[in-house]
Amino acid sequence: MQKKDNVTLFVQCIVDTMYPEVAESMVDVLEGLGLHVDCPTEQTCCGQPAFNAGHQQVARAAAEKFITIFEGAQTIVSPSGSCVNMVRNHYQDLFKDDPAMLARVKAIGERTFEFTEYIVDVLGVEDVGARFNGKVTYHASCHLNRFLHIDRQPRALLANISDMTLVEMKDADKCCGFGGTFAVKFSEISEALVEDKVNNIIASGADVVAGCDMGCLMNIEGMLSRKQSPVKVMHIAELLAGKSYE
Amino acid sequence: MPGRTEFIQTIGKALGRGAGNAGDADIFTTTASLEQEALLARIKTRSAAERKQLRGVIEQVAGPLHIDFHPEDNLDDIAGAIGRLILEKDPEWGTEKSVVRWDHPLLSRLHLESLAELDGVTLHTTDCVSGGQGAKVSAAAQRSAIRENVEASFIGITSADYLAAATATLVMRSRPGHARSASLVPSIHIVVIEEEKLLANLEELYTLLKWDPEEQAQGLTNCLSLISGPSKTGDIELVMVHGAHGPRELHLFIVKGEAP
Amino acid sequence: MSEITSAEYKKVAVDSIADPVLQSALESLQSRLGPATQNLYQNLPEGQELRKTAHGYRRKAIDNLDILLEALADNVEKNGGTVHFAATDKEAVDICLNIARDHDVKKVVKGKSMVTEEIGLNHALEEAGIDVAETDLGEFIIQLADEKPTHIVAPAIHKTRQQVGKLFSEKLGTPYTEDPPTLTFDARKALREKFLTADMGITGCNLACAETGHITTVSNEGNIRMSTTLPKVHVAFMGMERIVANLEEQQSILRLMSMGAAGQQIGGYVSYIGGPAAENHCDGPQAFHLIIVDNGRSKILADEEFREMLCCIRCGACLNVCPVYGKIGGQAYGSAYSGPVGAVVTPLLFGVNNAADLCTGETLCGACRQACPLEINLPRMLLALRAKLSEGDAKWGVQPKGKSEKLMFEAWQKIIKRRKVYDLFLKIGYVLQKILPAQDGMIRRLPFPFNGWTNNRNLKPLAAKTFMQRWKEREGGKQ
Ligand code: SF4
Repeated sequence: MQKKDNVTLFVQCIVDTMYPEVAESMVDVLEGLGLHVDCPTEQTCCGQPAFNAGHQQVARAAAEKFITIFEGAQTIVSPSGSCVNMVRNHYQDLFKDDPAMLARVKAIGERTFEFTEYIVDVLGVEDVGARFNGKVTYHASCHLNRFLHIDRQPRALLANISDMTLVEMKDADKCCGFGGTFAVKFSEISEALVEDKVNNIIASGADVVAGCDMGCLMNIEGMLSRKQSPVKVMHIAELLAGKSYE
Repeated sequence: MPGRTEFIQTIGKALGRGAGNAGDADIFTTTASLEQEALLARIKTRSAAERKQLRGVIEQVAGPLHIDFHPEDNLDDIAGAIGRLILEKDPEWGTEKSVVRWDHPLLSRLHLESLAELDGVTLHTTDCVSGGQGAKVSAAAQRSAIRENVEASFIGITSADYLAAATATLVMRSRPGHARSASLVPSIHIVVIEEEKLLANLEELYTLLKWDPEEQAQGLTNCLSLISGPSKTGDIELVMVHGAHGPRELHLFIVKGEAP
Repeated sequence: MSEITSAEYKKVAVDSIADPVLQSALESLQSRLGPATQNLYQNLPEGQELRKTAHGYRRKAIDNLDILLEALADNVEKNGGTVHFAATDKEAVDICLNIARDHDVKKVVKGKSMVTEEIGLNHALEEAGIDVAETDLGEFIIQLADEKPTHIVAPAIHKTRQQVGKLFSEKLGTPYTEDPPTLTFDARKALREKFLTADMGITGCNLACAETGHITTVSNEGNIRMSTTLPKVHVAFMGMERIVANLEEQQSILRLMSMGAAGQQIGGYVSYIGGPAAENHCDGPQAFHLIIVDNGRSKILADEEFREMLCCIRCGACLNVCPVYGKIGGQAYGSAYSGPVGAVVTPLLFGVNNAADLCTGETLCGACRQACPLEINLPRMLLALRAKLSEGDAKWGVQPKGKSEKLMFEAWQKIIKRRKVYDLFLKIGYVLQKILPAQDGMIRRLPFPFNGWTNNRNLKPLAAKTFMQRWKEREGGKQ
C-alpha cells in the first residue's frame, strides 16, 4: 500500500444532500487506510439523471463542469457505482464526436474509481479491520455489477468484517426498480420492483441491507420505511467505518 | 427476380458502399484452418475404442433428452428389439399396425419382413421415386403412395448420416428413398445407425460438412435436418410435454462396428 | 396493419401488475429460463468468449449484407427455389398472396414467425379467403383466443392451463381438462388434420447461410418440419438481416440461440432448407419461395448508432431476465416484439414518437445485455433513442417530446452549474419539505410532478447540512 496518496472525493449528489454521513464514513475509511483525502466543494452532480432521460445537451454541460473541477485530481473516488459508470463510460458517449474532449474524459475516467474497487483493486486491501454486530444482506447494484463488473470487491470487504453475519437474499443482483426518472414516470412498475426487492430483503432475515449505491438504497429505504420494517439500509462505507476504530 | 436490384442497392447505400468500401473480401471462408484440418483428421482416424466412448456419451445424454437408447448392438438383436417395440406399442391414430421404413441398405439388412411375430403388421418402404419416361407409374403417383403409407404408419424407421454424441443430434438428408416424413409423421421414430457414424459434437459435424471433400461434393441437399430428441413443447405453463406435433418417442439403436 | 402506439404501455402495465395469475406466470418463466441460459453460457466448451466472437460474426454479416444476400439468392435459385425481395410490408404480403393464388392455395399451416406478425400476413391471407392455422402450440392458443403473442418465443406464456382448457373446450369441442399433456394432445390432434390437408406451409427463417444457400428453421415441436415437408408449397419469410456468411459461424450462433431461447444446447429440430424437393425424392414441397423483407431495416442499417440491433436473432433471452418485462408482461409493448428487444426494435420499425413510452420505460439495469447470447448492447440503444426523443431527430423524423421535462432539466442545469445557487435551492427545499406529510422522519407524500414516488414508498428528506458544508466546516476547523 502506498503511503499518503492523495484521493479526491467525487460525492454522488444523493449522498451529498441526503446521506452526508455516508461520505463522512468514506473519508474515515480512506483516512484510516493512510490516505490524504480532499474534496472540491464546488461539485454538484455528474449529469447522470439528465443523460438517462435523453437530455444529452444538459448532461454535456454537467460533464464539462465535472471535468473542470476534477481534471487536476490524481485519483478520484466515489461512493456510487452508477456515478462512476457515468464518468468512466457515458462521458465518452457524450463526447464521441469531439476528439479533444473525448481524450480528456477518457483520461479522467481512467482515474475515477468506485469506493470498494479502489480499496480492493488499487490499494490491494480486503480487510479494513472493521467490526459490526448484526446480520447483513448485500444488494448488488446494476450499474456497479453489470456495467463496471464490480461485485467481488464489496463482497470481499463485507466478508472480512468481524462479528458480522452475511446472508444472501434471493435475486440479490436483480434491479431494485430505481432507474432515475423512471421511478417517478413509471412509478407503478418501479414500486412493483422495489416491493419484490424489499420482500426478498426481509425474507433473508437480515437487520441491514448494504450496498454501494445510495440511489438504490434510497429507493429500498423508502419502501422499507413505508412498510414500517425495522431493516436498515447502510452504505458499505458506513459498515467499514462504523466500528473499525472503536 | 423483380425488386432485387433496387433492394440490394438500398442496402449498399445504407452501408455507404463506394470507393474504398466494397465489403470484406474474406467474408466467405475458402480454406480450412489448421485446427479444422486437424479436427478432420481426428474424425477420420477415430479408433474403435474412442467410438465406444462416444456411445457411452450418448447413453448418458439420451435420458435427459427423452431418447430411448437401446443396448442391442448387432443387427439380429436390434431386429428383435424393433419387433418387440412394434408389438408392444399401440397406434395413436387408428387400430391397424403399419410401419414405414426408409429404403436403406442397413435397414434392409434387419430383415424385419422375416420376423414371424410381425405377421399382420404391414411393413412399408419409402422406395425411390423414379417417375420419368418409361416408368410404369408417374413420380406424382409414387409420391402420393408414399405419403399415404407414411400417414398410415405409427412407427417410422430410419437411419441417419451422422450422430453427434454430445447433444445426441441425428443428421438426416433428403435423398431418394429417404423420406423426410418417415422421421416426422409417425408417432414413434426408430433410428438405427452404425457406430462409424458417431461424431463427438456439432463442431465436428459442421467441420465435416464444410471441409470434407466428399461432403462438399454432396452438399447439404435441399433439406438437411438435425434431430435431437422427440418432439416436445413447454407452451402451456412451461410444462414439458413430449409429442407436440412430431414423434412422441425416439428410439435409438447403434450397430457396433465390424471387428477389424 | 402495423399501427403501433405506446400510449397503452402504462395502462396495460398497471393492469398486468395487478393480475396475480400473470405475475406468477412471469415469475415462473424468469426463474426457470433466466438461470438455465446463464448456466449454459458458463459451461460453454469454447468459454464465454464465444459470445463476443459470435457477435463479431453477426456484425460482419450485417456489414456485408448486400454481398451475403446476393450469394444466398443465387444459391437458392441454383437449388430450384425462387427468391423475392420485398421493400415494404405490403410488398411482402402481396408476393405471398400471389404465390397462393398461383398454386390455388386454400389452406395454410404456419410455423411461428415474427416477421409475418410484423407485416400482418395472417389477416391478409384470411381476407383472401384462405384458412390459416398457426401450428406452434403457443401461437395456436393465441390464434384461438384472438390475442397477440406476449413473448417472442413462448407466445402464450400469459395463459394458464385453466384458461387454455376453457379455450380448447369452447373452440375445439374437446372435454375440459387442465392437464397440459392432454391439452397438448388435443392440439396435436386438431393440427395433425391441418398439416395433412394444407397446401401451403409458411415459416420464418432463424438464420440463413449465404455460402450454402439455405435457410434454417428451429423448433422443438416439429411443427416447422411438418409445415416444410407436407404441403406442396413452402414459403419462407426472412427479415433481411437474418443471415450469416458460412457454416462454421452458423454452428456457433445456432447453439447460442438455442441457449438463449430455451436453455438448450441445440433446438430439438434444426432444418436447413435450400429449395424444393428434388425430382426423385419421396416427399417435400414441389415449390420453395423465399421472401426477403426490408420493411424499415435498411434505415436501421444506415444508422451506425442502431446497426447493432440488426445482429439480434430474436431468441427472447432478454425477456427472460428483464425486471420490467417480468412485471408488465408482453402485451404492454404493443407489437409482436416485446421486452427489451421490443423496446428498441418497435420504435425503430414503427416510429420513435409512436413508441415513446417503450424507449423510456426501463431502468437500464443491463440484465438484457448480460443475458443476450450475442451481448447486444440494448441499454446503449435505449439511451440513444431517449436522446432522439428529448432533443428531436430529423433523420428519424422524431419530434421532441413534451417541453416541460426539457424545461425542467434546463432549469436544473442552471442550478447545478454553480454551487452557490445549488446550495440556495437545497436550503429552500430543506425548509419546504417540512410542510410535507412525514412518517418516522421520512417524507410520506411528494407534490406533483414527483408524487409517483410516494404512492407506496417514502423518501429520505434533505439533510440539514450537505456533506460539502460539513466538509468545509471540518477543513475550516483544522486550520
Ligand atoms: S436482443 Fe439479444 S437476447 Fe434479445 S432477442 Fe435479440 S438476440 Fe435475443
